[in-house]
Amino acid sequence: MASGIRDKVAIVGMGCTTFGEHWDKGPEDLMVEAFQEAVADAGIERGQIQAAWLGSALDDVNVGNSALPLAFALRLPTIPVTRVENMCATGTEALRAAVYAVAAGACDVALALGVEKLKDTGYGGLPLRTKGLANDLWMPYGSAPGSFAQLAGAYAQRHGVAATDLKRAMAHVSWKSHQNGALNAKAHLRKAISMETILGAPLIADPLGLFDCCGVSDGAACAIVTTPDIARGLGKRDLVTVKAIQLSASNGWESQYREWDGAYVRNTREAAGRAYAEAGIADPRAALSLTEVHDCFSITELVTMEDLGLSDDGRALFDVLDGKYDRGGAVPCQVDGGLKCFGHPVGATGLRMAYEVYSQLLGRAGERQGTQVDFGLTHNLGGAPFNSVAAVSILGRLN
Amino acid sequence: MTQRSIKGVGAYLPQLRLDRRAAAKALRWSGLGGGKPGRRAVAGWDEDSLTLGVEAARLAVAPGAEIGTVVMATTSSPFYERSQAGILVDALHLPSRIRTLDVGGSRRSGTSALLAALLDGAGADTLIAAGERRPTRPGNALQLAWGDGGAAVHVGTGEGARLLGWASLAHDLVDVYASRDNPTPYQSEERFIRDTAVAEILVPTIRAALADAGVAAAEIATAIVPEAVDGIYKAVAAATGLKAPNAAELVAAKGGDLGAAHPLFGLCLALGTAAVGDKLLLAGFGGGCDALVLEVTGPVYGAAAAQQAVSHGAVLEDYIRFLSLTGSLDLDWGPRSELEQKTSASVLERYGRDMAGFIGGRDAAGNTQFPKSRIPVAPGVEQTAPMEDVRLADEVGRIVSITADRLNFSPDPPFHFGLVQFAQGARLLMEFTDIGASPAVGDSVVMRFRVKSIDRRRGFRTYFWKAAPLARARLED
Repeated sequence: MASGIRDKVAIVGMGCTTFGEHWDKGPEDLMVEAFQEAVADAGIERGQIQAAWLGSALDDVNVGNSALPLAFALRLPTIPVTRVENMCATGTEALRAAVYAVAAGACDVALALGVEKLKDTGYGGLPLRTKGLANDLWMPYGSAPGSFAQLAGAYAQRHGVAATDLKRAMAHVSWKSHQNGALNAKAHLRKAISMETILGAPLIADPLGLFDCCGVSDGAACAIVTTPDIARGLGKRDLVTVKAIQLSASNGWESQYREWDGAYVRNTREAAGRAYAEAGIADPRAALSLTEVHDCFSITELVTMEDLGLSDDGRALFDVLDGKYDRGGAVPCQVDGGLKCFGHPVGATGLRMAYEVYSQLLGRAGERQGTQVDFGLTHNLGGAPFNSVAAVSILGRLN
Repeated sequence: MTQRSIKGVGAYLPQLRLDRRAAAKALRWSGLGGGKPGRRAVAGWDEDSLTLGVEAARLAVAPGAEIGTVVMATTSSPFYERSQAGILVDALHLPSRIRTLDVGGSRRSGTSALLAALLDGAGADTLIAAGERRPTRPGNALQLAWGDGGAAVHVGTGEGARLLGWASLAHDLVDVYASRDNPTPYQSEERFIRDTAVAEILVPTIRAALADAGVAAAEIATAIVPEAVDGIYKAVAAATGLKAPNAAELVAAKGGDLGAAHPLFGLCLALGTAAVGDKLLLAGFGGGCDALVLEVTGPVYGAAAAQQAVSHGAVLEDYIRFLSLTGSLDLDWGPRSELEQKTSASVLERYGRDMAGFIGGRDAAGNTQFPKSRIPVAPGVEQTAPMEDVRLADEVGRIVSITADRLNFSPDPPFHFGLVQFAQGARLLMEFTDIGASPAVGDSVVMRFRVKSIDRRRGFRTYFWKAAPLARARLED
């Protein structure tokens, strides 16, 4: 039986750029910016890093294939550097690799950095490329909002929910994130939006309106990890450790077999269950101080709260409207503004979420700081609900 | 020699029908476009001569019928060098060891193929599919006079509609032409066309066919005579003594002139109302004429349903959308439309037949899936397992999830897609087409053979099946 990674690895430094329309910066600028903050935070020399992982999801946009862009941008010594890609879980995947390397004893200090320059695609939304593969012969390639919007109709059907009620709860999800994002200097969108504006926005993919969708941004985030012992040797006293990182990927069951009703995301449930077990959390509703979940679209966040076990099935709509996930609620969600206000530079997002939890655990979150932060959860959902990869991480302090 | 007969027919029109008055209104300032009343059928962006022919062919062949020869007739094939009949075989999931023939170059290619099949007494059953989606230019009256559609005929042995007599005439009348150098139609002067077509081509050929059949013109119950220009049939009837209504006129009024599919479509409608013993006159026109005199000897599969093709659909009144759908207006769809759609020939070689035929797989435990895979998707199966073919094209599906996506590029937005569940277990993510009222989770859908992707950069296209609402709304007359 595997013992897991709980408390075997400490995060000793993190960095995060502002997310937004960085017309004046290339990916190497963003990588260096995030890296410099992380190195300064960790208090280490670059030469102490023994391995690095670069997360970038879209190989056609700016960063390019392989890990060489990271090695070049940071002028890393000739250490092993690897590029990882796992759709929207890419940033967390980079962190997972670095954490596993340290936990395995393969290296003492490892770096995870995620970056994406989406604005250089020249249009909104994620780029869409077909490549002459077998799936291109039959599979429709809808947009990301189109893929996630399908949760809504299936959810309403399963739970007997009126479309108008669901739309109102979805709007609250976005309203909440804008409230929080307005307090975050690193967020792309820093403006509170009224419910009326959200509900009245033009449709992108039924029933998602403009404000139900996260933005497209550029950004980078970075983590430096090591063992708790080495961290203490660096003079760190208040250690943030990784309690769990779990990943679950579809095997075709949702989109090719007959059982799934389309109203939830199985991989989130699988990854969350494993992460709670790895972290030793029996009751996540009581244990979690905050969550940063993959709110690529408002319906995704709403459904995710059930998938994470934080709302009963069919009750997230009401919990959302009751303010359970607001900044002052029982389990605050997207305290930093979420994907909704940061945008979603895919490779960076998972690490950006970890950055907020890390900051909250260390009491560095300024106006957003929670009062009793012990465990924070991050969640990524890549692909589409019917064809997904989900990552769940839990961070906390070393007891 | 065993008597060959028309055993089945199929008539298919795309869902959209342009109200010609809407076009006339939009063009009034210019005085262009012609003044024909009625409607013309308008193909969706994902329909072409092949898909229209396939849909008609699906209606023409009774379950269990064995087809030995497949013919595709069109003057508007999207490919000059790729057999449409071959793709048709795959789309209908017919055996690969089958005789195929592509015919074109003339509006009478469909009737010529039909005549050949009826005269081929020793041959296996023949399926003739005709489809047209002819490019036209705005302002040209033919853009509104012509329409998009398909028709198909199944020829075999036994009762149905048999050939009593026939005649053919070769005559190079340049009434209208399209060429590689001028892909849209150029039409000659109408009075010249009418006078020459009637006197030099149609009347002598029809008289010869009636004489060959030993049938008097007045005995014909229904004629199907395509009209290159208005008034042709009236003049032909006056000269030959025909008293019958012309079913081709109905097609022109309801769907437009369908080119190679037009006479076969008219035949479908005529057989739909014919009684045993009725005699029909079918003429194909273009580069001469084929005239067939037929007698109804028994029921013809698919004939009773042919009327639905013209009576169900959706009226299109947006002239700009019509221009875009017909390729007459090159809208700038922005950077999101710049996606690559390249098709790998080797990938198509491996999977193309299963794609065109919509063939999934069934494992030993009875679970079906699409596409087939080495290890089945059914939970608990851990080993590779052989799969038997399962055709999904004729199944009714149920919507599990759906959205109208306005961000994704579509030549006719919004882009509808979602999960579709089949009763026997298979499910897959599908594109939807022919959307009218907003479909909902749980609604039933049927499968339509459509263009999957168009690689505009290299001039290639692939085909797959899309989900469409179970029924179309009935058009008001």
